[in-house]
Amino acid sequence: MKIQLTVNGSRYEKDVEENRTLLRFLREDLGFTGTKEGCGAGECGACTVFFNGKTVNACMVLAVEADGGSVETIEGEVKDGKFSVIQEAFDRNHGLQCGFCTAGMILSVKELLHRNPKPTEDQIKDGLEGNFCRCTGYTQIIESVLDASGQLPKKGELHHA
Amino acid sequence: MLQSFRYMAPRTRPELLDLLAEYGSRAKLLAGGTDLLVTIRAGVHKPEVVIDLKKVEGFSGLSWSQTDGLVFRPTTTINEVLQDARVRKDYPLLAACAHDLASYQVRNRATVIGNVVNASPCSDMAPALLCLGATAVLSSKSGERRVLFQDFFIGVKRTILRPEEFLERIEIPAASAGVKGDYRKLKRIQGHDLGIVGVAVALKGGKLNIAVSSAAPTPVLVQGLDAGIAVEAAVEAVAKATSPISDVRCTKEYREFMIGTYVRRLLQEVRA
Ligand SMILES: Cc1cc2nc3c(=O)[nH]c(=O)nc-3n(C[C@H](O)[C@H](O)[C@H](O)COP(=O)(O)OP(=O)(O)OC[C@H]3O[C@@H](n4cnc5c(N)ncnc54)[C@H](O)[C@@H]3O)c2cc1C
Ligand code: FES
Ligand code: FES
Repeated sequence: MKIQLTVNGSRYEKDVEENRTLLRFLREDLGFTGTKEGCGAGECGACTVFFNGKTVNACMVLAVEADGGSVETIEGEVKDGKFSVIQEAFDRNHGLQCGFCTAGMILSVKELLHRNPKPTEDQIKDGLEGNFCRCTGYTQIIESVLDASGQLPKKGELHHA
Repeated sequence: MLQSFRYMAPRTRPELLDLLAEYGSRAKLLAGGTDLLVTIRAGVHKPEVVIDLKKVEGFSGLSWSQTDGLVFRPTTTINEVLQDARVRKDYPLLAACAHDLASYQVRNRATVIGNVVNASPCSDMAPALLCLGATAVLSSKSGERRVLFQDFFIGVKRTILRPEEFLERIEIPAASAGVKGDYRKLKRIQGHDLGIVGVAVALKGGKLNIAVSSAAPTPVLVQGLDAGIAVEAAVEAVAKATSPISDVRCTKEYREFMIGTYVRRLLQEVRA
C-alpha cells in the first residue's frame, strides 16, 4: 500500500507492506535508526515516537495506520545542529550510558514536560513508567528531567552553596 | 515480523458492517492495536484481514448526556478517559482504573472497548464498568443488542460478541455519576505491569458493588450488598464469588489473601 506521511517536518511517500510496523518502517525504510527496537511488544518504550502529537510505542503501530499522519522521532530534536533543552540536560547529568533507551526516554520526557512543566520526582517516575533503562538506575534520568524543567540548581551555584 | 494480512480502513459505519458480514471470523478489528498487534506477532491470531476502526466517521471521543450517560466509542482511548474533566469529577472509579492500565504511551493508543473485547481476566477497565452498571451496545447488519457487562464476558478472552458484530458503544448511566469508589491493583513492581489482583468498590445509593480482576476466568461482580454490611461479611461474599488460581505471577493463596485485604481497605476508604 502506498502511504504519505510527514516525519520531522518532511513529507514522504512510499510503498509499504501492510504488516510492517511503523518502527521497522522508520528504521529500515526511511533510515531513522535513532528509534530503537527493544522488546517489540509495548513493554520497554525504546521505540517511543510522537505520532499525531502523542507518544506511542512504534512497535505496536502499523506503518499503514500512519498514512496521512505526522511522526516525530529523536532525529527531530536537534535544531540547527543544537541539542534541545532536554537533550542538553541528559548530557549534563549523565542521563544515559549505553543510550539504547535514550531516544524513547527523551521523547517521553518531552511529552511529560508539555503536560506538566514542573513535575515532582513521583510525577516523573509515573510519567516515565513505560520507558525502561537497564543502565543508569534512573537516578540520573530523574535529575536530567529536574534539570530540564529548571528545578535543579545550576552546577556553578551548587559549588558556591 | 508480523504474519501477512490485508489492511482495510472503512470510512463509514455501513462500510464497516458490510466488511464484518463478509469476513466474519477471518477478520480482526483494530482499535489501538496494543493487544491485537502483540498477539498477531506472537502467532496467537492469524487474521486474513485487519479492519482499522480509527478512520470510521463518528467513532471517536466521549460524550455525556442525561439520557445516555457517559458514552465511549470504538476509538476512545484510556488517556482520553483519564483526561476528561467530567470523568475525574463524577466517575472517580473509572479514572482510578484507567490510571492503573499500562504505561502513558500505551494509554495514548489503548481503547476502553479494545480492553473489554480482549476480555482478559486481568482487564483493568472491566471492574469499573461492572461496578457502575455499564451497558455494551453490540451492532451488526441485523441490528443492535444491549447487554450489561456481567453478561458480556463468558470465559478467559471470550465474550458474547459474534464474528459479524462489533462493540459500538459503552454507556455508563448518568445515575452512576457521583458514585464514590476506588480501585486497588496489586502488581509485582511499582511501574506498569499486569495485575496480580485488582479490586474495585463502588458505593451507589444504599448499595455496595465490588468487582475483582485476575480472580476467575472472567472479571467478577458482586453487586447489591447492603452499604452497611459488616466488613467480614463482604470479604466472605467476594471470596465465594471468586476462584483465583496459581500462575507465573503468584499463588492462589496470595491472591485470596490480597483480595480480602483490598476489600477491607477499600470499604474503610469509601465508607469514611
Ligand atoms: C505493555 C502493555 C501493558 C499492558 N498493560 C495492561 C494493563 O495494565 N491492564 C490492562 O487491562 N491491559 C493492559 N494491556 C493490554 C491492552 O493495552 C489493553 O487491553 C487495551 O485497552 C486494548 O485496547 P486496544 O484499543 O489497544 O485494543 P486492540 O488491540 O485494538 O483490540 C483488542 C481486541 O478487541 C477487538 N476489538 C477492538 N475494538 C473492537 C470493537 N469496537 N468491537 C469488537 N471488537 C473490537 C480486536 O479485534 C482485538 O481482538 C497492556 C498491553 C501492553 C502491550
Ligand atoms: S520495542 Fe516497542 S515498547 Fe519495546
Ligand atoms: S542508557 Fe542503557 S538502557 Fe538506558
